[in-house]
Amino acid sequence: MRYALRNIKRAKRRAVYTFLATFYPALILVIMFGFAAGEMQSLFDSATKLETGHLQIRSAKELSGGSIPIFALPEGLVDELAHSDLLEFWTLRLDLPALAAIGSRSYGVVVQGVEPEKIRRISPVPGLVVQGRYIGGSGEAVVGEELARLLNLAVGDALVLLSAHPEAGMGAGVVMVVGIFRAPQAEMGRTIVQVSLDTAQDLVRRENAVTSVVAYVAGVTGPWHASRIEKAAAELEKILPPGLAVKKFAELAPEVAVFMQIARPVLTAFSAIFFILGGLVVLNSFYLAVLERTRELGVIRALGASRKWIMAALFWEVLVLSGSGAVLGALLGTGLIALVEKLGGLRLPGAYSEYLRAFGVDPILHLRVSPGEVAGAALAMIGVAVLSAWYPARRAARLDPVEAMRYVL
Amino acid sequence: MSSDVVIRAEGLVKIYRTDAVETLALRGVDLSIHKGEFTAVAGPSGSGKSTLLHLLGGLDRPTSGEVFLEGKALSKLHPEELARLRLERIGFVFQAHNLIPVLTVLENVTFALELRGVPARERERRAREVLAELGIEKYAQQFPHRLSGGEQQRVAVARAVVGDPAVVLADEPTASLDGENSRALIDLMRRLNETRGTTFFFATHDARLLDRVKRLLILEDGRIVSERVQA
Ligand SMILES: Nc1ncnc2c1ncn2[C@@H]1O[C@H](COP(=O)(O)OP(=O)(O)O)[C@@H](O)[C@H]1O
Ligand SMILES: [Mg+2]
Repeated sequence: MRYALRNIKRAKRRAVYTFLATFYPALILVIMFGFAAGEMQSLFDSATKLETGHLQIRSAKELSGGSIPIFALPEGLVDELAHSDLLEFWTLRLDLPALAAIGSRSYGVVVQGVEPEKIRRISPVPGLVVQGRYIGGSGEAVVGEELARLLNLAVGDALVLLSAHPEAGMGAGVVMVVGIFRAPQAEMGRTIVQVSLDTAQDLVRRENAVTSVVAYVAGVTGPWHASRIEKAAAELEKILPPGLAVKKFAELAPEVAVFMQIARPVLTAFSAIFFILGGLVVLNSFYLAVLERTRELGVIRALGASRKWIMAALFWEVLVLSGSGAVLGALLGTGLIALVEKLGGLRLPGAYSEYLRAFGVDPILHLRVSPGEVAGAALAMIGVAVLSAWYPARRAARLDPVEAMRYVL
Repeated sequence: MSSDVVIRAEGLVKIYRTDAVETLALRGVDLSIHKGEFTAVAGPSGSGKSTLLHLLGGLDRPTSGEVFLEGKALSKLHPEELARLRLERIGFVFQAHNLIPVLTVLENVTFALELRGVPARERERRAREVLAELGIEKYAQQFPHRLSGGEQQRVAVARAVVGDPAVVLADEPTASLDGENSRALIDLMRRLNETRGTTFFFATHDARLLDRVKRLLILEDGRIVSERVQA
């Protein structure tokens, strides 16, 4: 459409406005998509690596007071899990509310019975030990620095644990503190006592007692694999005996799940502002263009051009401008994201970064954007631009040729 | 006689209504334009010349009366059908600013042919032929603003005749030109009338141009007050 292209050349400044009005929103949206994905990954990692896992097998019961119900690990379930290729990794946990006491001092804690070898892979605690060592077997415990200070504990001390689980009643045992860890959070340092699973099972006097099977689904690397988690959960539900249920991380870490759910709508609403602004610039620019060309449009109409032709001429113009603007904007956004990734990602600022690192989460924000998102951003912007040009184009097409030719700007 | 009538107007009345004011621009005009004629409609400013040409060319509709273009009643046509008819059967030349500024002279001349779907090679051949006939072929690749007023109007005439319309309606095509250029333009139109057989119907209020026409209509106050046929 030669006329359309010439018009672009004629009003360069206006063309630049239209271009930029579609370039920036597309660029911003793609970059925001990149940040959202990075932020979600980061949140997902901190949620799932914080010993929550992608999903957990728990008792279907609900206990008041916040304790996790205990169940006896059914015979065969472990074998079945081992043979199923649904899960990449899983480990058993028995978490008990307890009182830790030494001499006349005591403090309320959570005793975490873990499989010491397996837990290394997912829990930050083994890596945080600053005195002594991590637990290796029965009768040993690691405590946080804060708890050690509260109870005046040192490596080698004997610690009395009095568990009080609503389903198991009271239980007591003595463990040896073999290590002290530095928790990223004071609360965690005060309340977490990690022991081996069998040590915790002794406290409730039940072999096979666990509170959860913490599991990681094969092939899941980030929040975008949520559907795989869903699928694995559904498969697992089928092989579980009655009384057991699968909890997905969305239930285990609801605040993260909520963020993931609202992130996209919020982003969309936010970028909608830019899109609307871009659309208004396009509208204004084309409205003025039609006004400026009134006379000539009148001549064109008088010569016999159809309304369709006039609309098409303006749409070509907006399509070329917004097409190049939106596509280049989206591509530049993609390029910037790729560049940031090539340079190793975005380091998150100070304190938050330290916090994440302590939890074993990569403190670097990895921006990422999918081809679908890039195409979506560009197409949406083009769509908005074309819609914005609709009104001016319609006006142009409905000009009365006689009136239009009389028009003097 | 009827077969070579290109346009027939019957009882054309045009009333413009703006707010409270009514202007009676045409008060019942009857006329026929025959194939191959070279007709001027002359009259003072405000006599209704433009209005008449707009009605004859299907650019506007009469308040009453009818225009037949090659036998077809224009009042029955939808605006888009009228546009199509203008495109295919009528050539227009207006007072000034006729040309599309973003298109070259050649593109301006081929514009209407392009809208009609004439193949590119054919359009260019026809346009160059007319441009040559009007002595402005050398400007083919120029943009209109580089041309003088007289040259621009010649391009407009070229565009009007290139599609071999039933009639070329020219509304004071010389209004923006000096005497010499005005005469030259009318002479060129006359030559095209002879070489190509194009029918011309043009409005003017310049009495000096009237000795070149075959047929002259005088319009006063929205009425044809005299008609003269000359050699
Ligand atoms: N769109 C219009 N609205 C109102 N009055 C008009 C309009 N166009 C023309 N007129 C009036 O109609 C009369 C004839 O105008 P016009 O056809 O332009 O005459 P001419 O071309 O001979 O100068 C004039 O009085 C003019 O003011
Ligand atoms: Mg006039």
